[in-house]
Amino acid sequence: MSRTDFTRRDFIKLSLASAFGVSYSGWLPRLAQAAEAAGVKHKAVILLWMTGGPTQTDTFDLKVGHPNGGPSKAIETAVSGIQISENLPGVAAQMKDLAIIRSLTTAEGDHDRATRLMLTGHRPGQEGINYPSLGSLFAKELGDATNDLPPYVSVSSFRFGDAGGPGFLGPNYAPLVVSGDSRDPEARANLSIENLKAPPGVSKESMEKRFEISKFLQDDFANRAKGPSTKAHKANFDRAMRMIATNAKGAFKLDEETAALRDKYGRSQFGQGCLLARRLVERGAAFVEVTLDGWDTHGDNFNAVKGLCATLDPAWSTLMTDLRERGLLESTLIVWMGEFGRTPKINNNAGRDHFPAAWSTVLGGGGVKGGQVIGDTGKAGTEVTNRPVKIADLYATMCASIGVNPDTENISPEGRPIPLADRSGKIIEEITAVPEKRKKA
Amino acid sequence: MFLKTPCLMLALVLIDATSVTADEPAAARPEVSRLTTENLARWIDERFATAWQEAKIDPPALIDDATFLKRTSLDLTGSIPSVSQARDFLDYAGEHRRGTLVDRLLNDPRRPEKYAERTAAHWATVWRRMMVPGNSQEARMAVGLEPWLKEQFNANVPYDELARKLVTATNDGQAMMPVNARPRVQGGGPALFFQAIGGKPESAASSVSRVFLGVRIGCAECHNHPFADWKQSDFWGMAAFFSGIKNGAINDAVTATIRPENSTVEYAAAFLGGEPARIGKGRTPRETLADWMVAPENSLFAATAVNRVWQHLLGRGMTDSVDDLDKASPAERKILDDLAKLFVDAKFDLRWLIAGICKSQLYQRECIVLDDTDAEPPPGLRPIKTLSPEQVFNSLEQALSLPVARADGSARFNGLRDQLISRMNEAASNNPDEFRAGIPQALLLMNGRLTTEATDLDQSRTLRGVLDAPFLDTEAKLTTLYLATLSRPPRAEEKKFLLEHIRKQADGDKQKQAYAEIFWGLLNSPEFVLEK
Repeated sequence: MSRTDFTRRDFIKLSLASAFGVSYSGWLPRLAQAAEAAGVKHKAVILLWMTGGPTQTDTFDLKVGHPNGGPSKAIETAVSGIQISENLPGVAAQMKDLAIIRSLTTAEGDHDRATRLMLTGHRPGQEGINYPSLGSLFAKELGDATNDLPPYVSVSSFRFGDAGGPGFLGPNYAPLVVSGDSRDPEARANLSIENLKAPPGVSKESMEKRFEISKFLQDDFANRAKGPSTKAHKANFDRAMRMIATNAKGAFKLDEETAALRDKYGRSQFGQGCLLARRLVERGAAFVEVTLDGWDTHGDNFNAVKGLCATLDPAWSTLMTDLRERGLLESTLIVWMGEFGRTPKINNNAGRDHFPAAWSTVLGGGGVKGGQVIGDTGKAGTEVTNRPVKIADLYATMCASIGVNPDTENISPEGRPIPLADRSGKIIEEITAVPEKRKKA
Repeated sequence: MFLKTPCLMLALVLIDATSVTADEPAAARPEVSRLTTENLARWIDERFATAWQEAKIDPPALIDDATFLKRTSLDLTGSIPSVSQARDFLDYAGEHRRGTLVDRLLNDPRRPEKYAERTAAHWATVWRRMMVPGNSQEARMAVGLEPWLKEQFNANVPYDELARKLVTATNDGQAMMPVNARPRVQGGGPALFFQAIGGKPESAASSVSRVFLGVRIGCAECHNHPFADWKQSDFWGMAAFFSGIKNGAINDAVTATIRPENSTVEYAAAFLGGEPARIGKGRTPRETLADWMVAPENSLFAATAVNRVWQHLLGRGMTDSVDDLDKASPAERKILDDLAKLFVDAKFDLRWLIAGICKSQLYQRECIVLDDTDAEPPPGLRPIKTLSPEQVFNSLEQALSLPVARADGSARFNGLRDQLISRMNEAASNNPDEFRAGIPQALLLMNGRLTTEATDLDQSRTLRGVLDAPFLDTEAKLTTLYLATLSRPPRAEEKKFLLEHIRKQADGDKQKQAYAEIFWGLLNSPEFVLEK
């Protein structure tokens, strides 16, 4: 294999960065203290991933008066002239900070392949390259390697197929997956990290002893077998231990929030996941993904969408308000998307099928100029009639709006430089300013 | 209890000797005698002794028996040895014990250890990972290749034949397996290789060149190679051999030509380097390619194979870029080609090559100490290796004395193996000298179900076996835990620290817990997942 991996060196840096070391005796309280929420403002991205492919015609690109529009009704938003679905009143109120792209056009209509396309920016299987996901790319650009939290956290992730991984960027940029316990009586919102807690029956005292023994064995081994792998093992072990010790910097203690705020987000797993996303961003996470499953509405689309919006609307709009009130909205990009849109034509089961030709996605916060709509899909919504946006354009725009140069390259193990956004991508200038460098190129 | 009978060793020596005389001379070439594996080991040692002398390198010391046992068990069978295997080997003082162990791990088919089969299975994994690296869905589909590969290794099919079978494989036009199919359920034949790399002529050209010839022509798909001498015509000339592969249906085309999408140029099949291929009568394009590829004159083929075996056994290739021999220095290339020639003379016998390397002193040296810098280690000296996900699972299975039968709720069948391997795969490197695991992997080993059950006094087979043995005193109990996990007895410092930990506990229950804590520490120690 070619030598283009930088993870080992990262690990070494990391072990130097945490050179203050970890005391193993009495490690719990001391580490918990050290890990108080830092509150330093940094750039972050929150992806609201709509598993299954959300219908644009009943959310952000209504076709009122046309048979394709169905029974969905439009309402005015905070920006005059822009209308969205009546099912999203909270989001409508946030319109000044949101930009709707109605003219996204892609070419993958299979859940699995489309998910990989949207989450990597590349069609799957191209040239055998294992492309990193959006989360891993931003984790690398925006993350802080010395943070106790990993830079990329994925909340209750359910997607079609297997996407969202770090690809060739490697494990430092792999998502830390947070899952919800479905047996939780409180509306399935008991979000936690797999294997973070010591097994039941193992006391805190016994855990401390285990770590003391570990520490002894590690030091002993390091004396006998010096090398980068030994160092990398230790750095990683220490990080995992700090995660256990600090309980992931307390990010998961959702009960520190007021009951009123938790109610506003909605007591759904998605709602509480959005609240968790805010807490993770506050603690330095660079990319947080929260998923809402159920958008594959081949049948009974209109009732299903109403139900989904009842979960989506309070969570998303409260997230915007909450971030704004804490001064974090301008440093946090929010992306709403799924793997594709749905057919404007309603099928015989009152449903809508897969439709990648002309669909919608929404960007907000970050450096996004809100209060506008990009593109058009005509009266019937069957095709892009104005301002087509391709996946590379969307990637370039996301990068630019959070202040990352879309031309930044990662080198694949095959030795190919892969830019964050494919070079064919054009930044949507109405949404965010084009960096000087990019203009020349 | 093995290795205690001298006649067994004699028998093994004889097996080696007979296999030499039993070889049929290849029809087309003059007969060349091959070295014994002991002589191959000597050859390797002499070559590197000279190289080290010239470079004024003082090689590290030879390893002790325990390290040798753990090293060869992991490298050949893919697992650490059991406690009894470790005890037997460490108690035995026969002069040829190391060489005998190597022969046995490679060749001995007998129950209950079934070493030959386990070694074949491990090398099937090694080869599958090399052929389709990474952790993409396509790469995971390639797991389905392992049963077939294992058969080949178990029969010690010569490597040229093995490669020929892969390159010329067909699947009778079956459409491609969907990428999310579970190949674990349906083991595939050699054609699965082409499916797992994308089922297109382009991916076949690029992968076959990389896997079997150590040549990276992938970027020549679109433009001439930036560093090496490969042209776009090399890429498309190779791709033309595979023009019968369409949408995952692996077949041969009638005419070996190909036209890239959106291009007017048609390329005819040509070997790497530009020589046009003449497809003989009754031969398929891919058979013609295989003839050229495995011919002894094609030094890339044997050199690539030798380098891959070397990488697995020693942690780095003779030249580090195993997929790209163009990057080898002239000195690296020379020794690689010389060893490759011996491999050809030995009729591409992989077991012979593996045994010869393992019997060398070079293989039996301590790891070199590397500083933080990215300095290249001197040739032939080994870095610390990281266990592959499969090696981690196999070693856990061994250390925890897990049941292996489905009826006993084996982790192989109840999903725990799959879970562990897929999690570890997320953080596996293609280079054995690199440790990449991330936080989720560490948490899994610390708090996951396998470890939790293994350190639970009521559930753990290993702990119960140790704690309930009336004939073991405290020190012997500690030694057993060490043998179970690190395949060696504790050193004096370790004994001192850990025995004190046990003895200072207030009561019997706490003392039992102390063993569980130590066992946990050993399983989570770097020495368990790193190979010294």
